[in-house]
Parts: sequence; C-alpha cells; structure tokens
Amino acid sequence: MPVNTVPTADWVTLEQLAEDPYPVYDRLRAVGPVTWAPQLGRFLLTGLDDCRFVEANEDLFEIEQEDSPLKRAMGEVMLSKNEPEHGVERAAINPALRPKVIAEVWRAHFEAHARQVLERFRGLGPGADINADFALPYAAMNLGVVVGLPDVPWTDVQRWSLAFIAAVANVQEDPRVSEANRIANAEADAAIDRRMAELAGSADPSMISVMLRAGLPPDLVRANAKLAISGGVNEPQHVLTSGVHALSQHPDQLAAVRAGEYTYTQVFDEVVRWMPPIHTLMRRARVDVELNGVTMPAGSLVWILLGAANRDPRHFEQPDRFVVSRPRRPHLAFGSGPHICAGSWAARSSIAEVAWPLLYDGLPGLTPVDDDARFHGFFFRGLPGLPVTWETENTK
Amino acid sequence: MTESNQQERIVHQADAGSVVYVSAGTAPRAVSVTQPTTAMRLAVEHGVPGIIGECGGQAMCGTCHVKVHDEYLGGLPAPNEEELDILDVVITDRDPVRSRLACQLPVTPETSLIVDVPDTQY
Repeated sequence: MPVNTVPTADWVTLEQLAEDPYPVYDRLRAVGPVTWAPQLGRFLLTGLDDCRFVEANEDLFEIEQEDSPLKRAMGEVMLSKNEPEHGVERAAINPALRPKVIAEVWRAHFEAHARQVLERFRGLGPGADINADFALPYAAMNLGVVVGLPDVPWTDVQRWSLAFIAAVANVQEDPRVSEANRIANAEADAAIDRRMAELAGSADPSMISVMLRAGLPPDLVRANAKLAISGGVNEPQHVLTSGVHALSQHPDQLAAVRAGEYTYTQVFDEVVRWMPPIHTLMRRARVDVELNGVTMPAGSLVWILLGAANRDPRHFEQPDRFVVSRPRRPHLAFGSGPHICAGSWAARSSIAEVAWPLLYDGLPGLTPVDDDARFHGFFFRGLPGLPVTWETENTK
Repeated sequence: MTESNQQERIVHQADAGSVVYVSAGTAPRAVSVTQPTTAMRLAVEHGVPGIIGECGGQAMCGTCHVKVHDEYLGGLPAPNEEELDILDVVITDRDPVRSRLACQLPVTPETSLIVDVPDTQY
C-alpha cells in the first residue's frame, strides 16, 4: 500500500467536519489536493477539477455497491447504481424534473404552497422559525406533489424523509432507527402503490407517473420515489434558510437584490456555492488511479468534498466571501455528471423564483432575530433553526 | 452576428474526423475524433474551454450550448423534445437555427463539424 507515502491528514475527524468543515478544507489544501485521512479511511479531494474528474469517469471511480447504505434504507435506488442501470432509471425520472415542466406545471404548485405556508407563518408572528415553520413545510409540500403523492400530508413526507436519511447514516445499526425506517418504508410503499394504481395509463407529469410510463417495474418506482423523498426535503429547506441568513449578513447585497440589480437566481447560485446543503459524495476506485501525483489504490474509498470544491481558490476569487454579484462559474453544489442532482431545477424555481421573492415582499424588513446562527453538519449541512422578525402593524 | 464571428466562420473548414470549436478571442481548436462520442464529451475530454457539460450528457443542464456553422447543420440529427426543452427554457442567447446542445451531437471518425462556443454557458 502506498498509503504511507501519500500526503496524509491524520488529524481529520468527522466531528471536526460536522462542526465546521471549512477550516479543515483549508488545512487539507495546504497538505495537498489529494490527501489520505486514516481516521476516516478515505482519500479526500478538495479541488474542483479533481472532484469533477472523479464524477465524470465512472470507468475509474464507481458508486460503492457492496453493502450500500442507500439500498439498505430504501431499496434498489438509482443512486446506488452505476451505468448502464443508473442511466435507464435516471432517464425515466428526468421528464418530471426538466426545466420546462418545472416552469409550466410545478411552479404554479410551488406558488400556491408558498402562499399557503406564508399565511400560516405570518400568523405565528415575529419570532417564528423560518427553517422549521416555513422552509420545511414548503419543501415537503412541493416534494409530495412532484413525486406524485399530493394527498399525503407534508408531515408524513417529512417524517419518512428523516427516517430514510437516518437509516442511511445508521452505521451503528441502532434498532430504533431501523424500526422507524421499517415503518416509513411500509407507509411510503403503500402510498406509492395506491398512486401507481391510480396513475396507470395517465399522462400525469409526476415522478411516479413518468417512471411508470417509462416501464420501470414497481419495485424500482417505489425505491426511486423514496430516494426523492429522502433527498428532497432537507436540502431545499437548508438552502432557503441559508439564503435568508446570508442576505441578512449582507444588507447591501439584499438591498441590491430588492432593487432588481441582481436576481434571486444569482442569490441561489451563490448560496449553494458558499454553503452547499450536502458536503460529500463517495466513490470507490475501480483500479489504481493517479491524481495530482498521488496514487489511490484500487478499492480505495474517495470523498469528493463538494463544499471544498465550491471554495477552490483556483476557481473562485475570495472564495469564503458571500458575493451575489460574483460571475457565475461552474460549482459542485449539485454534484456533476450522470448523478448530478435531479431536483436542481425544482429547487431553483421553488426557492429563487417563488419563495424568496414572496417572503421579502410579504414580510417587510424580514431579518433574523439575532446574529448567532450556527451551521451544523457535514453530510447534510445547514442551520438547525433561524427565528426571524419583520415589520407588523404593531412594530411599524 | 458580429463581424469577427463572420470571419471565423468563413475561414475555417473541418477535416473529416475532426470537430472545430470556435471561441471569440482565441484560436479555433480542432479536435480529432478517434471513436464515436458526442461533441460535448470530446470537448470536455480535450479540455476545450467554454463547454462544461455539468449533467454528463442528459440534456438536463444546458451548459454545453454551441452554435453549429450553417454548412454542417444538414448532417446532424434534429433536436429531440428534451433538447428543445433546454433550448427553449434555459439557453438565453439562442440562435433559432444553429443553437444545439453539444451533448446531443453524435460525432464519429467520419464526422466533420464546426461549432461556435458561446462566451458563457449561463
């Protein structure tokens, strides 16, 4: 094993990464673009080009197949597969998530959900938590409709999503997590089965329906619908909340956006670059691969550090700064290549085109109650909560 | 169309088995096709600037927009519904005839093709 000859970062721990990964990324870059982290048992990639290369070259780096935590949690999901199997399922799902169907079908749903959630949120009054009381129900309601489960209460969508994510991360095999996951799977499977029966032969644009029309068998429809549920709640929730936080930290930039100098879509791209909701993707080297002078032996597990790539100083000037006017350049907030996030257009529309403008128009002076918001998490990173205030009749 | 683009389009011809990528302000880049692929993959594998291909060729992202030179349009398959979706909704400086997604343009060792690469893919 050449492991003892490669740049090594024996100090990196998951706890550090979950607390604040960015100082860790800076230290890693000082060691080298490809480092071995013995405590994690992973090679770590911090450079944007290297991260893109790994995702683009599935002949060299495959999705981990053995003992896939995704399969264990949700079944035969496409994210646990390589080509060509993955591509068949992905192509079946894409028609529900293409930008045109987002604009022509789903956006109207996003707008209705946003107005509905905002009404309730306004009723809670200043001090309400934008993360828990707006972003969460809004993301879960949107997801339910796009997946094809419009009659499932958003609270169920959220509970299933949490159960699936917890099961994916359940390396210690906590029996309570496994039991919650079993219940979530049973409930979600039953709801999906009911919808498959209702949607048979229809031209419905939802994910379940387009998968049926593409001829995917029921077990794959179920698994991939559950994959969407697992991956479609907390990410848009976190991005929506992170944006409110970031804009509040930069009132000049918020004012420029409000004045129409920059778009909320620009805000979106900068928020997800600066603070992506997912910080790592994993691959396994199929063969010995040399990258930047470091050989990763066949079988090595490799972490693509999306949050580090998005602050690669070779690609972004002053990468730690939040700058909405930054020229748009490729970032890795959604990954890249065949497994790139399928929901990115839905997220862009629901958050940037619908939610933020509605919130800032509907809640004048919207701003966090205090400045001490602390991001947390590595696999999923975001603000656990963000109480906000705004001008009301009483406060004007 | 700018005058400089017009000039570039007149002076270049692609040999069989090559794709020429023309970007404003830099020399045109001719890349040989040794095996069947797409104009996006060929560009990314050879580091042609300006073609990103974020989604890996699914006609999902709209970051491999090119404008095909008129004389080569006839040799290409018509855009399918997915490609037209992206061209309709995502591409901001679309040419009604010449705009294509490079990921949907098959190229082989028999192909010759010249495309303009836009200044930005966003």
